[in-house]
This record gives sequence, structure tokens and C-alpha cells, in this order.
Amino acid sequence: MPDNWSYVVAAWAIAAAALAGYWRYLARRERALEGAGRPAPRRAGEAPSRPPAAGAAPGGPAARP
Amino acid sequence: MSATRVLGWLAVAGLGAGLVMAFGVAPREITQGNVQRIMYVHVPAVWVAYLAFLVVCGASVVYLVRRSATADTLAAACTEVGVLFLGINIVTGAIWGKPTWGAWWTWDARLTSVSVVFLMYVGYLLLRRMTDDPERGARLSAVLGVLAAPSIYLVHTSVYWWRTLHQPPSLLKAGSATMPAVFWLAILVNFVAFALLAAHFVGRRVRLLAREREAHA
Amino acid sequence: MTAFARRAWLVLRKDVVSERRSKETLNALVFFALLLLFVFQFSLGDDRDRLAAALPGLLWLGFVLSGILGVSRAFLVERENDCWEGLVLAPGDKSSIYLGKVAGALVLMLLVEGLLLLLFAVFFNVDLGARLPGLAAVLALGTVGFAAVGALFSAMTAHVRARELLFPVLLLPVLVPVLLGGVKATEAVLAGEPLGAVAHWLKLLAAADVIYLTVGVLTFDAVLES
Repeated sequence: MPDNWSYVVAAWAIAAAALAGYWRYLARRERALEGAGRPAPRRAGEAPSRPPAAGAAPGGPAARP
Repeated sequence: MSATRVLGWLAVAGLGAGLVMAFGVAPREITQGNVQRIMYVHVPAVWVAYLAFLVVCGASVVYLVRRSATADTLAAACTEVGVLFLGINIVTGAIWGKPTWGAWWTWDARLTSVSVVFLMYVGYLLLRRMTDDPERGARLSAVLGVLAAPSIYLVHTSVYWWRTLHQPPSLLKAGSATMPAVFWLAILVNFVAFALLAAHFVGRRVRLLAREREAHA
Repeated sequence: MTAFARRAWLVLRKDVVSERRSKETLNALVFFALLLLFVFQFSLGDDRDRLAAALPGLLWLGFVLSGILGVSRAFLVERENDCWEGLVLAPGDKSSIYLGKVAGALVLMLLVEGLLLLLFAVFFNVDLGARLPGLAAVLALGTVGFAAVGALFSAMTAHVRARELLFPVLLLPVLVPVLLGGVKATEAVLAGEPLGAVAHWLKLLAAADVIYLTVGVLTFDAVLES
């Protein structure tokens, strides 16, 4: 039976790419958090009753990084 | 060094060991040839994913009972990581299937069930993303997290019956059930490696979610 | 009747009465069912044998598509009419509201299913007479599951962006066991087999019903907060 090494390599490569991709996604968001520091000053001037922006929902993945 | 970083380094070591096992130690399988080595990614991935979904269920229950933010972030992080590994399982399963069965997709019971479960938990992530209020998002996804777990059992059972009753027995041989010990060892090593990596990912994701929540508070 | 049961009954009656007055949902669903028939015929129809073989699947396809349209509205009407806060503030166990909604969804779905069966019998020339008891049992078991999950997800998606999309996206994967069980059992009944031949499917449907209803009852309080 032929060994189909190309399939084996493809499978492992895709798995590695997916895992590496997630690693980089985490790293990117961690860097963004470091870079942001405190929120931009002009936000503080807004009325306090204003709810946080939709993109601030912490649960969603990759919400506009 | 935090626990998460330790896990990360352990995972890297584990992955190295796993590669050695998969390509160096495990022999070439007799009937399938070297294509069988895909199983060393394919099988551990689904075990890790389902383990993650089990945690999601537990964390969701805890959230519903105690409304603990930690439980919510844990559930969200584990769903992400579970979906990641399940996706890997599905894609590698299809790649294995093409040379083995001649088609990328044969609607076999296992891959089909896993795909339905995948869609369920992608739904969880979509629900969180589409809910503007974070507290409501946490509540609703916790309910979904609780519902999804027993649904996994129902999906697997129903799809299995659908495919294998009145089907010729040859279709049941989807990946050898009786393998010599060294094959299982290779799968186990890779499972541990993937589990360590998953735990590392979850640790980082939980911390990220908590800090992002603080930053926007 | 306990207070719990009475609250559930009140919710059901409110929905039935308001639907009887407005007839919005049912009318639209009736025409939708009719349209589905034509869509099925045009997609599959020329070969009568192929259509006959696909009949159980088409039947359930019809149920699911109509159900998605009909049941998604279960809590939408509350939101549209600003009744959501009223439900949230209602005293007592919120799961009585859930069960009332499940009952309402069940009534609606059974009506539509009955209609679809009639339409199928007429338009596709299927003799359903002898099969009705078996069909009724299968449909009942499957529809309870559909209503249970549908009502829960309808409430869940009421305050979510893109709810018309998210409702079916969340519902369909969870509904796979009900769909498979329903189709397989219907297949057997239409082929004249006794219900005992598909006892395992019926038990799976029953198990699904119990699981969905239990989760719904236990978690509905969390869904129905403002």
C-alpha cells in the first residue's frame, strides 16, 4: 500500500499551523493589552451612564483586536 | 514562572516527545501504511477537545449557580480551545480519509458526530460574540454550555445508529480498534502533550479575558 | 392546580388567545407549508419513486423549516410588545413560563405538522390512513423535543444581534438527534413496520425530550433575566 507521505505531512502541518496560529493570536492580544495601558483620556469625559462599547464584550473571540 | 508558563514549556517538551513517538518509535502500520501516523494527531485532538467541553459544562453549571466571573472566563476559554482541537481532529480525519477510503468525506459516524458537536460549540462562541451585554452573554452561553454536554451523547448515539444499523460491517472498521501497545503509547504521549498545550492555552486565554474585562470596566 | 401549573397554563392560554385573534403566525405558516410542497416537488419531483423514497426526510424537513420560522417567534412577540420586562418581573418560578411557552410551541408545531401530513397525502398521493397512530406517536415524541429546545433558544436569542440567524444556527446542531430519530422512525412507520422495530429510536427521542425539558426548566431563570 503506498505510503501517502504527502497526506501525513499535510495533516501534521495543518495541525501545527492551527496551534501556532492560536498561539500567535494569544500573543497578539496580550501585546495589545500591554500597549494599551490605561484607556484613552477622552473616554473618561463621557457620561458615566453610557454602556461599554459592543466590542468590549470580553467573552467573544477576536472581537476587533 | 507562572503555572501557565510551566505548562507551556512542558507542552513543548511533550510535543517533541510526541513527534519522536509518532515518527521515530511507532512502526509502520501493516494494513494502512504510514498514513496511519495521522492518527497520532487525530485521536489525541478529539480527546483533548472533549475533555475541554467537559470542563465547559462544569464551569457553566458553576457560573449559573454562583455567577462567578472566573467560571465564565474558564468556560469561554475552554470552548475556544476545544473548538480549535476539534477542528484539527476533523481536518486531519478528512485528510486521513482521502487515501484510505478514497474520498475526503464519507459521512462516517465518527467524523459526522464530531462535526455536529463542532457546530454546537461554534454556536456557543457566536452567541457570546453577538451578545452586547457581557453579563447576559455569560449567562446565555452558560445555559448553552449546560445543554451542549448531554447533547454530545445524543448526537453520537443517533448518528452512530443512523450510519451503522443496516450497514455492511466493513464500514465499522474506521481506524483499527485492536492496535499493538506501542501505537497506544504514541497516542497517549501525544494526548498528554496536547493536553498540556491546551491547559497552557486556557491559562493564557483566561488571564487575557480577565485583564480585558478589567481594562474596559 | 398548583400555582406553577396555573402560571404555565396562563402563558399558554395568553399565546393561544392572542394568536387566535391576530392569526399572524399560523396564517403565514400555513402558506409557508403549502409553498414548501411546491419547492419540494420542483427540487425532487419528476421521479415519483425518488420522491416516495425521500418522503420521511421531506416531511421532517418541512417540520423543521416551519418550526424554525414559527417557534423563533415564541419570545419575539414578548420583546416586540414590550412584555419582556413583565415576564422578568413575574413572581415565582420562571420555569412555569418556559413550560407554558413549550406547550404553545408544541400546539403550533402539531397543527403545522398535521397540515403538512394532509398536504403530503393529497399532493404526493400518499396513503397515510393506516399509519396515523404510529405517525402520531413519532411526531409527538419528536415535536416535544423540538418545542423544548426551540422555546429555550427563542428566549435566549431574543436579545441577541442577528437573532433570526443565530436561532437556527444554535438550534439545528442540537436538533440532529431529534431529526435523525424522527426520520428513521417515520420511515419505518410508513413502510408498515411495527413501532417496536424502532423502539431504540423512540427511546432516544424520549431521552432527548427529558434532557431538553430538564435543562430548560433548570436554567430558564438565568435566561429570563433582564
